[in-house]
Amino acid sequence: MEQFIHPLVLYAACALGALGVYLALPRRNKSLHVVGGLIAAIAGGIAILGLTLASVKDHPSIYFYIFAVVALGGALRVVTHPRPVYAALFFILTVIATAGLFLLLSAEFMAFALIIVYAGAILITYLFVIMLATQAPTEDEYEGLAEYDLQGREPLAATVVGFVLLAALSTMVFRGVGQVDASHATRNTDQAMAIMPGRVETLLRREGVLQPGERIAQDQATGRFLIDPVARTVTLASGTDSNRTIPWPASLGVRNVEGLGVTLIGRHPGTIEIAGVILLMAMLGAVVLSRKQVQVDEAEKGRQVRTLAQSLAQSTADARSVGRGGTA
Amino acid sequence: MNPVIALPMSMLAQSGAPAVMAGPTLAHYLFISAAMFALGLIGFLTRRNLIVMFLCTELMFQAAGIALIAFSRFHLNHTGETFVIFVLTVAAAEAAMALALVVLLFRRRESLDADTWDEMSG
Repeated sequence: MEQFIHPLVLYAACALGALGVYLALPRRNKSLHVVGGLIAAIAGGIAILGLTLASVKDHPSIYFYIFAVVALGGALRVVTHPRPVYAALFFILTVIATAGLFLLLSAEFMAFALIIVYAGAILITYLFVIMLATQAPTEDEYEGLAEYDLQGREPLAATVVGFVLLAALSTMVFRGVGQVDASHATRNTDQAMAIMPGRVETLLRREGVLQPGERIAQDQATGRFLIDPVARTVTLASGTDSNRTIPWPASLGVRNVEGLGVTLIGRHPGTIEIAGVILLMAMLGAVVLSRKQVQVDEAEKGRQVRTLAQSLAQSTADARSVGRGGTA
Repeated sequence: MNPVIALPMSMLAQSGAPAVMAGPTLAHYLFISAAMFALGLIGFLTRRNLIVMFLCTELMFQAAGIALIAFSRFHLNHTGETFVIFVLTVAAAEAAMALALVVLLFRRRESLDADTWDEMSG
């Protein structure tokens, strides 16, 4: 198979990226951060430029580059920023850029689900916990940062491991792979349309094909709607006249959300069940874990009970004396 | 027309896409995914703050999601997207559980340093 990008270019970019990330990781010497970030950016530029030059006829759209650069730059800052709050905010940036990439892959539902679930829910939970779990600053801290945020654990070994993994993965990836279809078509859309008569009817009405009083005919015996995905015809019934069969409208196609829904319910219904069980278990687990253990002193409890009993007896005696006074 | 130019043009005409949107290859998306995964891995290994460590696992989830959706697009079906929904669910569950654990651990040691728990490594 045709090699997509020269391996030496790829490995050079990986080595340069490793150096850049290593320098950019949190440490006390701040001047190295900027240098490291620049080197990492140059490495990413070489990799993406090599990728583009290797396949001149397959220029991705400019938006791909924008989203990719923002996503990877945000990811780099998540890893290297010493303050957890900023790391979480940079992660939101990465999430939004990733949602942009999903849009380019015409996965609109997943793009919006990603923003709602990640940026809206998960990251807010993270921010809450960062606020909950912060200590009062002490004297030996450096610019209000804890020591463990300033000094990484084995940064060199981790960087080498990460970039060896990246080099290995991308060697596999660049052995010539196919093109992603940029149109909005998906396979087997006709079969999916056949089970959505309401949508077909709406589209026919909007196009003016459907006369007033007409609707999609149903099979007498089975009640199925007469939409034939193989012959690509739709049969219409008007109630008075006999049925007429019209050709499949050209603009009839499944949108992303519809296709995803049909796949999810039709082919993988177990996914929803398992996801529900996982979420329920997570909720229970979180409640059990974060429940506050209230320690009550036994002697104190006994004293409280006695005081309560005494005051109760006192109030009953008072009520009795008042009642007797009333009858007298 | 020059046949070298004619070939991509005919491919474009078939897909019906405007020229600027024409074909980013699968490799582009997989490279972004691999790079993001590697960054998440480096972060998980080097950072000592428990919260940032879990943030880096979320980064790796994102990378897996990009790869899955790119493959889903490449094969022109929605199975990969279905799996990303599942990944999102697991990520949400993991965030809830892990952060509850982090709060508990913080209450014990008054520190988010993962190295204060190194007696668990045996």
